[in-house]
Amino acid sequence: MSPIYLDHAATTPVRAEVRDGMIAILDGDFGNPSSAHSWGRRAAARLEEARERVAKAIGADRSEIYFVRGGTESDNMAILGHAEAVRRVGGTPFAAVSVIEHKAVLSAAAEVGKRGGRWSTVPVYADGTLDMDALDTALAEGASIVSVMTVNNEVGIHLPIEAVGELTRVHGAVFHTDAVQGLGKVPISVDGLPIDLLSLTGHKIYGAKGTGVLFVRRGVDIAPLIFGGAQERALRPGTEDVAGAVGMSIAVDLAVQEQESEADRIRRLRDLLQSRLEEGIAGLRVHGDVPNRAPHILNVGIPNVDPEVLLAGLDLEGIATSTGSACDSGAQTASHVLEALYGRLEGVAALRFSPGHSTTEDDVIRVAEATLRVLELTRSVEAQA
Amino acid sequence: MRSQRILVAMSGGVDSSVAAALLVQQGYDVVGATMKTFCYSGGEAHSKTCCGLDGITDARRVSDALGIPHYVFDVEEDFKRDVIDDFVSEYARGRTPNPCVRCNSNTKFKDLMERGRLLGCDGIASGHYVRIDHKDASAPALYRGVDTSKDQSYFLWGLPIEMLPRLHFPLGDLTKPQVREQARELGLVTADKPESQEICFVPTGDYRDLLEKRLETRHPALEPGLIVTRDGEVLGEHTGYANFTIGQRKGLGGGFGQPLYVIEIRADSREVIVGPAQECASQGVEIGEVNWLATPPPEHSPIRVQIRYRATAVPATLHSTEGRVILAFDEVQRAVTPGQSAVFYQGERVLGGGRIERALVSSNAC
Repeated sequence: MSPIYLDHAATTPVRAEVRDGMIAILDGDFGNPSSAHSWGRRAAARLEEARERVAKAIGADRSEIYFVRGGTESDNMAILGHAEAVRRVGGTPFAAVSVIEHKAVLSAAAEVGKRGGRWSTVPVYADGTLDMDALDTALAEGASIVSVMTVNNEVGIHLPIEAVGELTRVHGAVFHTDAVQGLGKVPISVDGLPIDLLSLTGHKIYGAKGTGVLFVRRGVDIAPLIFGGAQERALRPGTEDVAGAVGMSIAVDLAVQEQESEADRIRRLRDLLQSRLEEGIAGLRVHGDVPNRAPHILNVGIPNVDPEVLLAGLDLEGIATSTGSACDSGAQTASHVLEALYGRLEGVAALRFSPGHSTTEDDVIRVAEATLRVLELTRSVEAQA
Repeated sequence: MRSQRILVAMSGGVDSSVAAALLVQQGYDVVGATMKTFCYSGGEAHSKTCCGLDGITDARRVSDALGIPHYVFDVEEDFKRDVIDDFVSEYARGRTPNPCVRCNSNTKFKDLMERGRLLGCDGIASGHYVRIDHKDASAPALYRGVDTSKDQSYFLWGLPIEMLPRLHFPLGDLTKPQVREQARELGLVTADKPESQEICFVPTGDYRDLLEKRLETRHPALEPGLIVTRDGEVLGEHTGYANFTIGQRKGLGGGFGQPLYVIEIRADSREVIVGPAQECASQGVEIGEVNWLATPPPEHSPIRVQIRYRATAVPATLHSTEGRVILAFDEVQRAVTPGQSAVFYQGERVLGGGRIERALVSSNAC
C-alpha cells in the first residue's frame, strides 16, 4: 500500500512551478542583486518581479513586501521589531496576542515582556470566538501591538481578523496577523483591511522551507532585529535569497489564484474524513468544529488511547499525520491550543489530519479505515491485558 | 508468514544503534523507540538542549540509515515517580541507590513492552550486554554478557520474569570493541560516540544539586552532622550525610593515623560512622525487594552474589527466602551498601536479585 501524506499543515512538498522558478535562478540568474554589473541587474530584476508578484497577490504595494527566511522570522520581526521601534521613541511596548497563537508569536511576545515591556494573552473560546472585551481591555491598558493569527494551525479556527484589526486601529495600536496557515485556504488581502503587519511562509503553500514574507504597511514603524547592509530596506539585511524569493512569490501567487477552488476540494475531503471517523469511533470529538473554520484541518480527539502510540501505529500503516503541531524532537507534548480551548484532555489523543494538493478521496477513505484498524488493534491488546 | 516485529530501545548511543542494526540483519521487522525519560532543562542555560534531544536526534538518524521507523515515547512522569523520586528518597534515608536498576525494573522495559504490544510487536530489545537463552521458551535464562568488562546483568535483575520470553539482547555475545567495529562497518553516526558514564538525569555527575532541588530546604540529609567512630569519638563535621556512601574514604579529611572509611550512615542522628577497613567488613547481607528470574534455589544453597556493579560475584549461602533474603558470605565482604543491588548468580546465569537492606555484622567482626 502506498504511503499517504496527510500532514500538509506541518509542511508541503514543493510544487513544480516553484521548483522550476527557483532552479532558473540557481542555474542562471545567480548574481548578487546589489552588484552593478549585468548579473546583478538580472538578479535584482528577478527579485523585484518576485516582490511585485507577492504584492499583487495579497493586495499590497511592492514597497510593503519584505522577503524573510520563514514564518518564525517574519513573526519575530513584526513583534520584536515593533517593540524596538516603540522603545526607540521612549515608549513601553505591550504585545497582546491570542492565546492560541503559534509558538513563534507567543515566544516573541514573551520576549517583549522579558526585555522590559509587557505582554498578555487574549482568550479564544471553544466556539471559535475571540474575547473582544478582553482585547479591548488590553488595548485600553496600553497594548501597542495586537497579534492574532488568521487561521490556527492546530484546529483550523479562522479568526475574525478584520474585526480585531478594526478594534486595534480604534485604539491606535498596530495589528499583526500570522497568516501562515491562512494563505491559500481562506481569502487573504491586505487591501482595504486594517492589517499593519502580516506574516507568510513558503513551506505551507508548496514553496521552499526557509522562505517567507513580512508585509509592513507603509507608515508602520518596525526596527530591524539584525544589522548589515541595506538589503530589504535594511530591515532584513544580508544578500538576498533570490531563488527563495522567486519561489516564494510563485507559491503565494498560485495559492491565492487557486484558493477558492482548492478550498472547496479540500473541504469536501476533510468533511468526508470527518464523517468516516465519526461513524467509526465512539466518543470522537472534533476540535475546532466551529462556523468559522478553515477547510484544510481536521483535529479530532479520540478517547482512551495513547496519542504517541496512535501516531506510531498510523505511521507503521504508512500514514503521516500529527498531534497538534510537529515539534522539534518528534516527541509529542501537550498542546497549548487544545488546553486553551478545551482544558486538559486527559486520556484523549488529539490527531490532526491535513489534506493537501495530492490528497484524493481514496486517500481519506483509506486513512479512515487505517485509523479504525490501528484503534482496534490497540483496544484488543488492552482488552487482553 | 510475516517476520516478527521487534521494538528496540534506542538511546542514540552506539550500543543500541548496533542492537537495532543486528536485528535488521537478522530479518526482524524492527521498530526503534526512544524513551524520553526526563528533561534537564532546569535552567535557562539548557533550554536549547532540552530532553536529551541530541540522543533522540542520533537515534532518529540511525533509524533512517537502517530504514526502520522510529518513535519517541514520553515517559517523563513514570520516570520521575519511579526513578528520580526513589533516588532522592534513598539518599534522604542515607542509602545509595541504583537508579538504572530502578529504571530497568520499573519503567523502561514495562513502558516499552506496553507500547510494543499496542503496536503489534512480538518482542522488545535493548543494547544491554547480557545474553538471553530462549531454548526453554517458557522459562528463558538470563546470562552475563560475554564481554566481562561491559556485562550489564547487574542492572537487569529486577525485570519481571514474565517479560523474559519476549526479550532480545542482540549484543550479549559481542564485546564492546566488536560493537564499535560493527557500527563503523555499517557507517552508523554513533560509532565513535563516547561512553555515557553518568546517571542520565545527573549529567554533571553532581547529584547533590538534584537533591537540593528536590528535597525540601534544610532536609537533614543536606545538613551538617558529626563524623564519629563506632566508639562515639567525634572526629569532625560533615556537610550532609547524602554526600557519603558506605566504604567511601574521600571527604573525611585525614590525619587519623590510619585510613578511615564510612561504615554506616545514621540518618536519624545525621551521623556518619567511620572506622578502619576491618570495621567495614560484613559476614552477610539482608536483601529486600527480591525478584527471581529463575526458580529460587532451596534454603542453604550455595549461591554467588554480586553487591556492586564493579565487583566479582562472591560465594555465599542462601538462608532465607521468605520475602527477604539473608545471605552469609563465605568470606567477609567490605562495604556492603544499603540501597545498592545484590544480584544472585549461578555461574553466568542471573537467578535474581534485590536491594540491600543492611549489612550483617557479628560482634566478633570488629
